[in-house]
Amino acid sequence: MEFEAVIGLEIHVEMKTKSKMFSSAPVTFGSDPNTQINPIDMAFPGTLPQVNKQAVINAIRVSHALNMKIDNLVVFERKNYFYSDLPKGYQITQQFRPIGSDGYLTIQTSQGEKRIGIERLHMEEDTCKQLHSWDFSLLDYNRAGIPLIEIVSLPEMRSGEEAAKYVEKIRSIVTFLDVSDGKMEEGSLRCDVNISLREKGSTKFGTKVEIKNLNSINNIQKAIDFEISRQSIILEFGGHIEQETRRFDEGSKETVLMRVKTDAVDYKYFTDPNIAPIKLSKEFIEEAIKSSPELAESKLKRYKELGLNEYDSSLLIADKDISNYFDSGLKSGCSAKLLANWVIGDVQSCLNKDGESIKAFPVSALSLGKLILLVEKNEVSNKQAREVFAKMIETGKEANELVKEMGLSQVSDTGELLSIIKEVIDANPQSVIDYKAGKDRAIGFIVGQVMKKTQGKANPALANKLILEEINRR
Amino acid sequence: MKNINKETLKMAANKLMFDMSEEQYNHLLNEFDVIVSQMNLIGKIEGVDNATPMTFPFDVTSTKLREDVATTPLDRDVALRNAKDVVDGQIRLPRVVK
Repeated sequence: MEFEAVIGLEIHVEMKTKSKMFSSAPVTFGSDPNTQINPIDMAFPGTLPQVNKQAVINAIRVSHALNMKIDNLVVFERKNYFYSDLPKGYQITQQFRPIGSDGYLTIQTSQGEKRIGIERLHMEEDTCKQLHSWDFSLLDYNRAGIPLIEIVSLPEMRSGEEAAKYVEKIRSIVTFLDVSDGKMEEGSLRCDVNISLREKGSTKFGTKVEIKNLNSINNIQKAIDFEISRQSIILEFGGHIEQETRRFDEGSKETVLMRVKTDAVDYKYFTDPNIAPIKLSKEFIEEAIKSSPELAESKLKRYKELGLNEYDSSLLIADKDISNYFDSGLKSGCSAKLLANWVIGDVQSCLNKDGESIKAFPVSALSLGKLILLVEKNEVSNKQAREVFAKMIETGKEANELVKEMGLSQVSDTGELLSIIKEVIDANPQSVIDYKAGKDRAIGFIVGQVMKKTQGKANPALANKLILEEINRR
Repeated sequence: MKNINKETLKMAANKLMFDMSEEQYNHLLNEFDVIVSQMNLIGKIEGVDNATPMTFPFDVTSTKLREDVATTPLDRDVALRNAKDVVDGQIRLPRVVK
């Protein structure tokens, strides 16, 4: 029997706003436990939630990038449950009116292009971080209240590869829009997978299994591929799939049972009476979209228009900060192609070597652009530029200053160069005779001599041109 | 309307993780009798099924959004003053997962 996987994803994205979803407590990562909280996060009596404007702007931007309909009325509900991860006894979420609905995104897979439908995008607050020991649990409320967006896809993915591409695209969108740092390993992008199998051609859904604890895109693909084969074997042998929650075990590369699902929990959702519905004006929504940072897809198109090839463009947009660095470098007016080569080559190799982020790189993009301009103007050779670049990293000085200090300026003064050329030609009359007799190589000897006399500082292109002119004159 | 009996109340109390004395259940049951009869009365109003449910008694729609500015958080000692058991700045509970 041939089976088909039906996969839907729920992605939680932690926003990197300055303050929390409903309180002005700071949003940080890695602070001491329970130091980034305020009375609203702790549900102290008398406190009232206030909706974070930037979180709403972020949700609008992501909804727009996912081609969704945007609701102009923001309403929040309470999801009631009794658990230690939220002191209020409920989580504030958008159950009935998600800010974004009915969207899609397009992914590129080995099977070609595919459109994945997205059911909803809603805002909510994160819960506290619980650390479980063998006989006790520790609570850190720093995370409680951090703004989240939850993106729920339609069950339209059919393989681990499609799911991985989908998450990759969502990750790219939220990071390029500056909504989140999208770090799966730190939990700022979390993904739950719902997967069932059915006979190919059938329209009926099979029993759904949920997979949690997926901390990398790679693991999402592996967990789904494993789950497809696990469920296929059970069904092939006439067994039936239990409705359960599983987690991915990195060591064995298998999904393992966490708990069997019983009846669905009734969260008794109702509109939060402490938050009056908020009407978003058309202008507010349009401005949020208009002022959105540029998405990777748009950058890719722009880079190609600048003359970069697909490969180089893809390397630049693989990392938002690298592409922003490249964009800043372009402001110097240098060649896009040369700048791309430097960023992908020299800059990237320094970052790899030192394990540093581009944000901490000591040479600013504009300074790199200025160095490239010197190469373009033939004031320094490529080789010399690399020496200057190394010094720029070491000293933080500008290229112009270092070129002078290192005595690297190319001789580009026509008069100065011509007098050296005349001297060399006068001293080597045989080379002129050889060149005129058709031995083109003779010119190389003259160029070599000029370079020797100028200690390699002669502008090669200019020297070549002047030598030919001088020989032809004789 | 769903009939509310003692079993319903006990089930709800169990879901909310508390329990009461028999006397308290009987008291609550009497209160529900009043509530249910009032609801039944409202249900008899003509066209009530076509009315849109309301959360707020009148239009309270606002345009107010809080600017994304972080303020000084609570001092940890103050925030955790009511916690019975604190270890390394974290609240300690009996293990909450199986």
